[in-house]
Amino acid sequence: MTLQVERVAFGYPPTGKATQSFSLVDVSLSIQRGSLTGLLGPNGCGKTTLLKLMAGVLRPHKGSIGLNGRLLAGISRRALAKQVAVVPQETHPAFDYSVLEMVLMGRHPHLGAFQLEGPEDIAIAQDSLAATGTSHLASRPYMTLSGGEKQRVVIAGALAQVPDVLLLDEPTASLDLAYQMEVASLLRRLNRDRGVSMVLATHDLNLAASVCDSLVLVRAGRVLAHGPTSEVLTVDMIRQLYGVEADVRFHETSGHLTVVPIRHVP
Amino acid sequence: MAADPKKLILVAILAATVGGLTVSGAPVPTPTSAARQAPAIDTAPVTRIISLVPALTEMLFEIGAGPQVVAVSSYDEFPPAVDALPRVGALLDPDVERILAMRPDLVITYGSQSALEIQLARVGIRTFGYRHSGVAGVLQALRDLGVATGHAAEGEQKAREIQAQLDAVRTKVQPFARPRTLLVFSRLPQSLQQMYVSGGIGFLADLIDIAGGANVFAAVSRESVQPSHELLLARAPEAIVEIHATGMMATEGVLRERSVWTPLASIPAVRSGRIHFLDGSYLVVPGPRVGQAAEALARALHPEAFE
Amino acid sequence: MTVGESAMHRVSMGVRPIRTRLAVTLVAYGALALVTCLLAPLVGSTTISLSRAFDRSIPFANNVDAQIFFVARLPRVMAGALVGAAFASAGVVLQALLRNPLATPFTLGVSAGAALGAILSITFGAALTLGPLLPVPLASFAGAFCSAAIVYAIATRPGRPISTSVLLLAGVTLNSFFSALILFVQYMGEFAETYRGLRWLMGDLDVGGFGPILSALPLIVIAFVIFALLSSSLNVLSVGTDTAASRGVNVARTQRLAFVSAALATGAAVSLAGPIGFVGIVVPHLVRLMTGVDHRIVLPAAALFGAAFLVACDLVARTVLTPVEIPVGVVTAMLGGPFFLWLLIRKS
Repeated sequence: MTLQVERVAFGYPPTGKATQSFSLVDVSLSIQRGSLTGLLGPNGCGKTTLLKLMAGVLRPHKGSIGLNGRLLAGISRRALAKQVAVVPQETHPAFDYSVLEMVLMGRHPHLGAFQLEGPEDIAIAQDSLAATGTSHLASRPYMTLSGGEKQRVVIAGALAQVPDVLLLDEPTASLDLAYQMEVASLLRRLNRDRGVSMVLATHDLNLAASVCDSLVLVRAGRVLAHGPTSEVLTVDMIRQLYGVEADVRFHETSGHLTVVPIRHVP
Repeated sequence: MAADPKKLILVAILAATVGGLTVSGAPVPTPTSAARQAPAIDTAPVTRIISLVPALTEMLFEIGAGPQVVAVSSYDEFPPAVDALPRVGALLDPDVERILAMRPDLVITYGSQSALEIQLARVGIRTFGYRHSGVAGVLQALRDLGVATGHAAEGEQKAREIQAQLDAVRTKVQPFARPRTLLVFSRLPQSLQQMYVSGGIGFLADLIDIAGGANVFAAVSRESVQPSHELLLARAPEAIVEIHATGMMATEGVLRERSVWTPLASIPAVRSGRIHFLDGSYLVVPGPRVGQAAEALARALHPEAFE
Repeated sequence: MTVGESAMHRVSMGVRPIRTRLAVTLVAYGALALVTCLLAPLVGSTTISLSRAFDRSIPFANNVDAQIFFVARLPRVMAGALVGAAFASAGVVLQALLRNPLATPFTLGVSAGAALGAILSITFGAALTLGPLLPVPLASFAGAFCSAAIVYAIATRPGRPISTSVLLLAGVTLNSFFSALILFVQYMGEFAETYRGLRWLMGDLDVGGFGPILSALPLIVIAFVIFALLSSSLNVLSVGTDTAASRGVNVARTQRLAFVSAALATGAAVSLAGPIGFVGIVVPHLVRLMTGVDHRIVLPAAALFGAAFLVACDLVARTVLTPVEIPVGVVTAMLGGPFFLWLLIRKS
């Protein structure tokens, strides 16, 4: 399984200006099977746009994105949804769905027009709940859950699609430290046990360092660097990416790199 | 928008309180005497009269006070002389500024326009308030108006003439059996929905009685009724008269409107074809032409009486 | 986990499978609607003899009881059921589309357009007909169509999802604008026409025949079919457009279909019976309280309950104050107001 992004450019429609402003100018990268890739970059660099493009929600204006050699544009939405799933930053359903109902929606691409969920779908949903440690919440209304629980339920919903690739947009952005660790270890476990490839857009450099085996640095719509975490997460790269002077060290006890910001050098 | 709850409830209240309106825009009637004034009618001479009530405008012209009329309401159509006169609004929207600017000495208002009457009284302008109250009220108003405008003799004479007209009609149809009558004065074209028919009180109800009909809604003490299809079938009138104030329809129009009744075949009037269409403003204005209206109605209900 | 184990697990968690819930819902609400529609024509302002009504030996043209039953009451009940089902289900769909439980079928300006068309026809007395279609319903539907077309044109960009805020703004703007036009037209009209226009706005199910119902029926049925096709997508859509897209929903197409079908059902229903309010919001809320929020269950339940609800309201409207009838829109408003008060109190 490979998700290949080739020389992709994308711009949002101009707002009052004559020329279109491009959010992504020229991005190429490739996601390998089983990898846990982090997508890093300053605000507005195009991370979320890139995730949406990889999910097929947006179409690139230039370049192409391919999944296992087939162009995304040529794959139907349903078929694509069976292979790629997205965990958005925040999920606010308009109605009071239960946790199980939220997770069962992940079965939508697998069901026909008038088909209702069968025992197999329910089994997969419950399996996904178990994998994220939220089985005990199944009949609770989604809105009554805590932030961490909500995020895990949304991940369970994405898992229910039984995807090959999971795209996560800032999965720990609104979570406290405990939940951050929970979600981080969950992602590692899922990647390891189920072989689900993941792409994680995040601001949290330490999370990226602890979870991701490779990183893609995006700045001003272009890929700044792409490679294994240990090679890419350097002082020099961080300075180029964020304009921040930081200290990058290997932390013995945690077993991964840690980043400590020192000062801002615009 | 009707979907807005507040507006709908307001409309409901409005509908409930003005539910008895006839097409000429009369307020909720009370069967009391016409003149609103204190016992004695002010008989000071008047030279500039403004009338907001079309029925009374007609009366003014009938009793010879026409030349004294300087302005009329937006809805006045008769007699033709009013076409040349300026308009000052009507029941809901009297143009007070314009009225004052014309310096009248008598303004004829609806009995419900109390705010207007107070305003005019403050600047010393006399008002003559009128409340619709059946045919008897029409005749009384003629007399009172005669007194108020210095044409008492003409007013009395006109009232007597009209009474004679009505009595003549009554006598003519007296020997004949009274058919159960439905008098329709408004409905949606090509549909029996939103139908307004005469109730048991008011001048239309009086006309039915004078013209020799038995009003199917005589027992309802309202001026108008909006019957559903079920109610129409249940009341089963033997004669249906539809009156239209506006210049009505060519023959195809009448045929088309007549055919709207066909589904309600169990109504005797529909089976026997006794559905009459009458046309003209004299039918809906409770003014001096009620005699004409009574005769027209009688001719429809009892053609045999006029041979 | 085997299927058997998961089934047991499922039962122990107290969540019944959707197939069962859907079947139970359809049976229960279907029975309610059926019973209401069967009983309603038996009751009315006049006492009739059913045996006489169904007595074939009496020619129909002479049989008052039969005429009351078949010409006056039966079409009225059927119109009530059709219109109630249409408003309730259109309400559900628009609430999902706008991701807002307070949306009604009238939020997006369709009924304002329909009202303007009807008021224009009533005030200026156009005798325009098209075959069996009557002038006021025809003008009303034309108005609904224009309004929906304008909102659609403003809110959609080819190939891109609809922005719900633009959609809502367009609908609200059109509502205000058309309402202003309606007031203006009413002001310019004769008193009688003004009052008739007002009366039309209160709703009237007394259609007196099957013709008007048959004209509206195909449009509403088409809308219902589209609703059924959309119901599972509406679940996902109401969680969020990006989430829906990543779950395989064609968001742009689903939104357009939802809008068009809801507009169709609303426009046809308003043309038939006037803009009867509160059905499109009271019924969906009540149904959700009883069946949960899964649209595949809420949609059919709301349609069936809406039918029963409006037929019942019309029954009250035509029997409580005989021979005077309360307009059915007033009855639904009088029930709807206290309902919302109760909802508010419950929430706080």
